[in-house]
Amino acid sequence: MSLAAFPFLAFFLALGAALVVVLDAVARAALAGAPAGPYLAGTFRHAAMRLSGQLVTTEAPDRANWRLAPAWYGALAAAGLAVVPFGEGMALIQLPTSIVLWGAVEALVVVVVFLHGWSPNAPFPLIGAYRYVATGLPVMLPSMFVLIGAALPARSLDVLAIVESQREMWNVVRQPLGLPLFLIVGLSLTLRGPMDYADSADLAGGSSAEDSGPARAMWQAARLAMLVAFSAMAATVFLGGYLGPLLPGPLWLALKTALVLELMVAATHLLPRMPVSRMVTFLWVVLLPVSFLHLLAAGLVAL
Amino acid sequence: MTDALFTGLSALALYAGWRVFRVDSMVRASFWLMISFIAVGGIGLLLSAPYIGVATVFMMAVEMTVMVLFMVMFMMNPAGLNPMMMVHQHRFSIGVGVVAFAGMTAATLLTDLPSNPVAAGKAIVHDLGIELLGDSMLIFETAGVTLLATMVAAVILSARTGRFGDAVEGSVPPGLEPGGTPAGRVPEKSGGHHHGHGGHDHGSHGDGRSDHAHHHEGDGHDSGGHDHAGDKEKHA
Amino acid sequence: MTLASVLIVAAGLIGIGLYGALSQQSFVMLMMGLELIMNGALLAVLGFWSFALGGMPEGQLLAIVIMAVMAVEMAAGFALVVAVYRNRQADVIESLTTLKQ
Repeated sequence: MSLAAFPFLAFFLALGAALVVVLDAVARAALAGAPAGPYLAGTFRHAAMRLSGQLVTTEAPDRANWRLAPAWYGALAAAGLAVVPFGEGMALIQLPTSIVLWGAVEALVVVVVFLHGWSPNAPFPLIGAYRYVATGLPVMLPSMFVLIGAALPARSLDVLAIVESQREMWNVVRQPLGLPLFLIVGLSLTLRGPMDYADSADLAGGSSAEDSGPARAMWQAARLAMLVAFSAMAATVFLGGYLGPLLPGPLWLALKTALVLELMVAATHLLPRMPVSRMVTFLWVVLLPVSFLHLLAAGLVAL
Repeated sequence: MTDALFTGLSALALYAGWRVFRVDSMVRASFWLMISFIAVGGIGLLLSAPYIGVATVFMMAVEMTVMVLFMVMFMMNPAGLNPMMMVHQHRFSIGVGVVAFAGMTAATLLTDLPSNPVAAGKAIVHDLGIELLGDSMLIFETAGVTLLATMVAAVILSARTGRFGDAVEGSVPPGLEPGGTPAGRVPEKSGGHHHGHGGHDHGSHGDGRSDHAHHHEGDGHDSGGHDHAGDKEKHA
Repeated sequence: MTLASVLIVAAGLIGIGLYGALSQQSFVMLMMGLELIMNGALLAVLGFWSFALGGMPEGQLLAIVIMAVMAVEMAAGFALVVAVYRNRQADVIESLTTLKQ
């Protein structure tokens, strides 16, 4: 599981991203009460238009960071997926502290999104970047509590051990609050739906408002890749990862990842969106205490 | 393999550390500092410290994000995309840095360093956990309480008003006549504009920015933004 | 990778940090210099722990204490910067001359 793993991980990311594109189109069509075909075609038309579009630049941007931000976002997604085990001992990065590595990936996402919004040197992207930092940092705390809670029954910070600890019972049953909290973290990590404060429509695209042509397409692709990596992580931590009868481990993980992807797309399209200030209050005043209670409960159960 | 990685990561850590004080933007500076920390975290992994190495990356990513926010709040030249050089006692500082480095290197090379490397297969993270909540719990808890005290102190220091009135009460010298302006240094009234430092041409930057504002507001829009841009030019 | 090489890299980081802390005029850049010094200290501690202590967990504890110190330095430092800025609209070291008087 070394060199052969890279094409496999890339394939996994691409497959998941394609699934999200289809799910997004279906969800939009269902909400509009229309057939899904035209929506899907529209997505591909849009992507083709972006890819063949012209690259427009702003005045005095930080060009290197601007162009590299999608690559870094995608690299973080790949690093996040690399700690996910696809079978017993089948994780690309095996560390006794791999769940902390995932936490580092989450923290670096905030940095990358900020850089992406800061580097064009333009107002809307910068506002998007600030909003993202204001909401992204408080989201880190529930994320850490949730991950620590998941590590408690395993008595280890290794994702492999966390999967193995779910042989008897999945964490989603043992820690019912964990998955919903973690999904909120995921929405924030991938800038989707109610947590989309960086790239939102009310800022004309926010941190990617000045992106154009292939650069914007790359940013969207990196967001999809991060969504897939997050879903694989959520499936691993809460749904037992590769564990399952009959089918081989990687297939089980793929199925569970697809399930989480569906939940994420549904949350994107169904949950209401709050103004930033109210969301920040909500994150600190409601979500943080709730996640602390969750950790307390998880600790008591694990005892 | 380990040696090559170590050489690469140390070079990155040192180069990034040097860039921190050489780039012209505070945002870039703090992210270079973050890269330096990440490289040290990577070296930590090579030194078989899996928890500390990864936790360094995690902590520094968050810390540098906060730092960037503060940079932009307090610095002139917030977006940091025009040149800047703000140093004092430059030669002296270079000297001190070089002397410190030379001294410590000499001490390293001249000392007979002990050798007792980590045994392979040691349960490092497990041992650390037992230590943290066992023998060294007092130290660990002291660190926690210190952090809590710091948070309280930070809030008190930075709060605009306290329970017994303005937070600056007592830190501003009394007036020369009753109710007069405070003695000593008079605060600037320009809202924190320090564009004078460095002697660079800021006028052109102001122009560029106001152009940009126009671009985004579109034509025939309310003139609030235009006034603001005009203000900026006046100050610059 | 030996203890000596790790310590020399740490010395380099501390030297650069010292230069930054002494030469920078703005508070925030000064704090970056301090952080870089702590970075070097962290690396030195990790090096000693790995090569000379035989994996004694107390060495890692010291590294954690260093991280806590960095966090405290950041929080207290920024709070002071905010307070000074509120009082004097100052963000550079030269404007703090009260102690001279």
